[in-house]
Amino acid sequence: MKRFLAVLLAAMMVLGLIPAVMAEGAAEPITLTVFRGDPGDQPADDNKIYKLIEEEFGVKFEFEFLAGDLDETLGLKIANEDYPDLFDGGNSADLIISNGALINLLDYISPEKTPRLWAHIEPQKARLIEKDAEGNDVLYIIPNYGLPDGPQIALTVGGPAFFIQKQVLEWAGYPTIKTIDEYFKVLEDFITANPTDENGNPYTGFAILCEDWRHFCLINPVQHLMGRPNDGEVLVDVSNTDFHTETFIDKPYAKPYYKKLNDLFQKGLINKDTFVMNYDQYIAALSSGTILGMFDQAWDFGNATSALNAAGMYKNTFVALGPVYDPADVDGKVIEEHYLNGSLPNVRRGFGISVTSPYAERIVNMWEEMLSDKWQLIFNWGIEGEDYYVENGRLLMTPEQYANTQDNTWIMHNKARAFFESSPKKQGWIMDGEFKGNCWEPGNQDEIVFGLMNEYDKKFLEAYGFSKFADFVNPPIELAPYGEAWQIDYTPVEIEHQDFLNIQDKRLPEIIMCDPSEFDAKWDAFVEEITPSATAFGNYMQEAVLKEAQKVLGNE
Amino acid sequence: MTAIPVQKRKARRHDVVFPVVNAIILILLMFITLYPVLNTVAYSFNDGTDALRGGIGLFPRVFSTKSYAAILEDPAVYQAAWISASKTVLITLLNLFWTGMLAYTLSRREYVLRRVITTVLVLTMYINAGLIPNYLLITRTLSLGKSYWVYIIPTMFSCFNMIVIRTYIQGLPDALVESARIDGAGDIRVYWQIIFPLCTPVMATVALFVAVGSWNSWFDTYLYCGGQKQLHSLQYLLKMKLATTQASANAAKTSVDAIKSTTQTTPITIRCAITVVSTVPILVVYPFLQKYFVTGMALGAVKG
Amino acid sequence: MSTIGKRSAGNAVIPVRKKSFFRTLGSQWQLMLMSVPMFLYVLLFNYGPMWGWITAFQDYKPKLGLFNSPWVGWKNFEWLFSREDFLNSIRNTLAMSVINLVFGTVSSILLAILLNEVRMRAFKRTVQTVTYLPHFLSMVIVVGMAQNIFASNGAINHLILSLGLSKQPVFFLGEGRYFWWLVGVINVWKEVGWNTIIYISAMTSIDPSLYEAASIDGAGRLQRILHVTLPGIKSTFVILLIMNIGHLMEAGFEIQYLLGSSVVMDWSQTIDVFVLQYGISKQQYGVATAAGLFKSVVAIVLLLGANTIAKRLDEATLI
Repeated sequence: MKRFLAVLLAAMMVLGLIPAVMAEGAAEPITLTVFRGDPGDQPADDNKIYKLIEEEFGVKFEFEFLAGDLDETLGLKIANEDYPDLFDGGNSADLIISNGALINLLDYISPEKTPRLWAHIEPQKARLIEKDAEGNDVLYIIPNYGLPDGPQIALTVGGPAFFIQKQVLEWAGYPTIKTIDEYFKVLEDFITANPTDENGNPYTGFAILCEDWRHFCLINPVQHLMGRPNDGEVLVDVSNTDFHTETFIDKPYAKPYYKKLNDLFQKGLINKDTFVMNYDQYIAALSSGTILGMFDQAWDFGNATSALNAAGMYKNTFVALGPVYDPADVDGKVIEEHYLNGSLPNVRRGFGISVTSPYAERIVNMWEEMLSDKWQLIFNWGIEGEDYYVENGRLLMTPEQYANTQDNTWIMHNKARAFFESSPKKQGWIMDGEFKGNCWEPGNQDEIVFGLMNEYDKKFLEAYGFSKFADFVNPPIELAPYGEAWQIDYTPVEIEHQDFLNIQDKRLPEIIMCDPSEFDAKWDAFVEEITPSATAFGNYMQEAVLKEAQKVLGNE
Repeated sequence: MTAIPVQKRKARRHDVVFPVVNAIILILLMFITLYPVLNTVAYSFNDGTDALRGGIGLFPRVFSTKSYAAILEDPAVYQAAWISASKTVLITLLNLFWTGMLAYTLSRREYVLRRVITTVLVLTMYINAGLIPNYLLITRTLSLGKSYWVYIIPTMFSCFNMIVIRTYIQGLPDALVESARIDGAGDIRVYWQIIFPLCTPVMATVALFVAVGSWNSWFDTYLYCGGQKQLHSLQYLLKMKLATTQASANAAKTSVDAIKSTTQTTPITIRCAITVVSTVPILVVYPFLQKYFVTGMALGAVKG
Repeated sequence: MSTIGKRSAGNAVIPVRKKSFFRTLGSQWQLMLMSVPMFLYVLLFNYGPMWGWITAFQDYKPKLGLFNSPWVGWKNFEWLFSREDFLNSIRNTLAMSVINLVFGTVSSILLAILLNEVRMRAFKRTVQTVTYLPHFLSMVIVVGMAQNIFASNGAINHLILSLGLSKQPVFFLGEGRYFWWLVGVINVWKEVGWNTIIYISAMTSIDPSLYEAASIDGAGRLQRILHVTLPGIKSTFVILLIMNIGHLMEAGFEIQYLLGSSVVMDWSQTIDVFVLQYGISKQQYGVATAAGLFKSVVAIVLLLGANTIAKRLDEATLI
C-alpha cells in the first residue's frame, strides 16, 4: 500500500512537471551547477530575477558557495575532477586554470557570434587574452568587474589612504594635508588640545590594524608615501620600461615612516593594544569615534562608517587623504602623490566554464544576451516601478528602495546577486539609448549619492571647495602596463613570501614600540633578517612584472 | 539500615560549613560561565550597527530582533533544521546501537579478538590520512556525495565513545554476566537484557556527545552537499549567513554603501543570534538526557 | 568458559594452543557478530584512506593523483625539520596541550566532586546546565570576550591596578610568556562544564552503599571523597588520561589563530597553524601530510607508552 502510494506520488510529481517543461518552448530547460569562490546566500525559491532568467533562458542554477579554505576546496574538486558548469575560483582561479579545469572562451566568443561580449572585452583584450603553453590565444575568464563604459567614476577613495576624522580637520581650520609629517602633526596638535572626547573617553591618535591578512595597514603604507598606488609589497619604478621592481620594506626609504611611528608611540599617540587588536575590536574602536586616524582601505571599515552615521556622529567619520614623504625624508626628492588608480579589469576573477560542462555554447549565448541594456538594467537596478523609478530620463530610487539593496534578506528574494556578481557586467556610464548619462550602478548615481549625504559632509566639502570626497587626492592616474602588482600570482615563491610577511608582522611592531635609542639597531637587525626572503620574492616579482608588462606592450 | 539516620544527625561542624562554601563556589562559577552566554544573548537582541561599538554587557543597548528576523525569515532555515534534526536522531541511534554492542564485546576479557580489535580501533583516534583521501573515498569509491546518506554512513562509530561505554561496563560487577551465563544466556542476550539497561547513564552521556557533534557539524555538508540546497544542514546554513554578512560588510565600495541604513545586520549580532538559534534546541533536549547521568542509577537495588 | 576468562584476565598472555584459539573463537560467535561488522566498517572508513600517507613522500598534486605525482623521498620531512619555526611550533603545541590537559582534568574532576556533594537535586542540575553552556559558544565569541577582558583597559587589568598589584597595566595579549596560560584559562572557562559530564556520569556507577558504609565507619566528607568518589572514577580518569596523552600533539589551531597576533607568534604558532599556513593553503599537500604523519607517529608512541605504564601500575588500560 505504502509503495503504491509512493509510486502514485512520484507519478504525480512527474506529471506535474511536464507541463512546465513543455511550456518552455525552444530552449530545453537546464540546471547549471555553479561554484562561487566566496561565501554567499542561497537565493530564495521565489527570487524574481532568477524566475525571469528561467522564463527567458530556460536556465536554473544550483549554487555552491565557499565555506572553508578556498585552496583546499579547489584542491578537492581538482582531485575528484568534479567541476561545476560555472566555476568561479575566487582569488585562486590560477589554481583551477593551471589544472586545466576551464575551457578557452575564445572558441565561443568572436565579433560575429557574440558582438556584445566582444565589444565588452575588446578595449582591454591586450590584458585579458593570454598565451597558453602552446602559444595559442586563450581567455578563460571574462572579468566580473573592471570593464566599465565611459570615463572613470571616482566619487570617493575606495581603496588605500591615510584616513583622518573630519573633526580634526575642522578643528584645524580645514588645512590641506600633503605630507605625512603634516598628517601626523595635525593629529598630534588635535590630541594635545583635546585629549578626550565630550564623554571623557581618551582619543587614540593613530591606529594600526595588524590582524591576519589585514596587516596591510602595517606593512603597505611606504609605497604610497613614495608616490605609488597599491602594488602589494613591492615598489615599481614606472619611469621607464625596465620597470625596476623591489620590495620596499627593507629599503632605507622605509625607515623614516617607522621612525615616525616610533616617535608617535613615544608620544602616546599610538597605543600598544593596537598590535593585538582583532578586527571586531578595531571596528568597535572606530565606531565609538575615539580613533582619530589610521592607514587602511576604505572598504575595510565600511561598517564602522555606517555605525558612526547611524549614531549621528558625522564629525567622527573619516576622510581619505593622500600624504607622501616630505623631500627631507628621501634625500630631497619631490614625490608626486598617486593614490587613485585608473580602472583595470579584474583579470582572472569571475566565472569560467569548466571543461566538463556540456553547456558552454548555451552559457556564452546567455551572457551575450544578458549584456543587453535590458538585462543589465534588471541586474543592476531591478524591476522598474518595484525597485526603482524613472523621472525625466533619470534612474532613481527612493531611500527605502535604496535601503532594500543593502538588505541581505531582501536581496535573497529580489536580486540575482550570486550569479550576477561573477558574470560579465557593465559598469560606469550608460553610453547610449534611453538612459544615456545615467550610471549602471545605483551607488554611483549622483542623485542617490548626494541625496543621501548628510549636512555635515556637505558643509565639510564646501569648506574645502570640493564637490566630492575623491577631490582630497589626485584624480585617477592611468596604470602602467603591468597593471597592479598585488594581483600577480606568486605561487612559485609562496614559501619565501610567507616568511617575508611573517618577519614583518613580527618585527615591525617591536620596532615601533622599542626605545628610541634602540631603533637603529633594531631596524638594521630587521633588514638583515628579512633580506633573504625579500630578495627571493623581489626578484620573482621583477620577472613577473616584466612579463605582465611585456604581455600588454607586446599585444599592443 | 536504621543506623544511618542516627549517624547523619551527628553532623560535624564542617558538614554545615562545607555545603555553604561549596554552594558559594558553584554560584560564583555559574556567574563566570553564565556571563559569556548572557552577553551573547544580549548582543543577539541588539541593533547590529550599534553593536559594532562594543561594550554591551548583560542587556541589549538598542533592542532589535532584526538579526533573528534575518535568520528566521529565510524559509530554507526550516528545511535545514529538519535535515539537521533527522540526521542527528538517526546518527545517535545508530551510534548507540553499534558502539554499545562493540563496547560490550571489548569489555569481555575472554574474547579472543579483543586486543586486536581494540588496538585497531584506538589507533583511529590518532591517525588521519588527510582530507583528499577521505574525500575520494566518500565521493568516488562509495559514491555517497550529494546524498543524505553521506551524513549518516560515515559517522556511525566513534572510538572515544566506545571507550567511554566500555569503561563503564567494565565497572559493572562481573557477577552480572557470569550468573546470566550460568542460566544459559548467550552474549547477545546478556548484553541486551542485562548490560544495556544498566548502561543508561553512560548511554545518555554518549547520546549527548554524538547528538551535539552531529547537530553542530557543518563541514560534511560543505564538502559533500554544498550544491544540494535541499540537503543543507542548519549549521552549514547559519555559517553561510555569517560569512555572507561578513563579506557584505567588507564590500562597501562606494560612498553610498557607506551610508547604510540603520537596519543593517552586522556580523557581530548575526553571529550571536546564530549561536542562540542553534543552541536552543540542544538546551531543550538536554534535561531529558541529563536526568540519567546526573541522578544516577540505584545500582545497589539492581544488584540485590 | 568463566575460568578461561579469569586466567587471561589481568595480563596479556594470549591463551595457549592454536587449536583452542579457533575453538574459542567458534564458541564466541555471538561476540564476533556484535563486533566484527563495526570492525570492518572502521577498516574501510578509517584505514581505507591511509594510502594518503604515501603522499608525505611525494610532491603531491591533486590533478596528477597518487600515481603520477613526483616522488621526493624524505624531502618534505627534511624541509619541516629544517625550519626553526616548525620546531618552535612543536614546542608550543606540547606546552599548550600539557597545560590544557592538566588544567582541564583537574578543573573538571574538581567540579564533578563539588557537584557530587550537592544534595539539592535542582541546584545540582542548574549548576551543571549552566556551566556546560559556554561549550556551545563559538571560539570566536569566547576569544573575543577574553580579548576584551584581558586588554590593557579590560576588567582584569582594572582589578590588578586597583589592587595595586602592578603600576602599569599588564600586556597580557602582547607578551608571549602569557600566551600559553591564557589559552589554558580560556579552555577551562569554555569547557569545564562539558568535560565534567563524563566524570559525573562515571560517578553514577559508584555503589551508593559504599558511601553509607564509609559513613558508618565514621569517614568524614573528605575521606569519603578520597576513598569512595575518587577510586570510583579512577578508571575513567586513567583511560581519559591515556587517550589525552596520545593527543598531546594536538593543541588545536582555532584558539591560537584567534587569540594570537603577530607579536606573540613565537609562542602561539602550533603545528596545526604552521601546517595551515605553509602546507594546505600553499598547495604543499606533501608537506601537510608529512606533518600529519609525524604527528600520528608521535601520538601512537606516546599512547602506547602511557598504556604500558598504566599496565605496569596495574591500572585500567586503553588497549
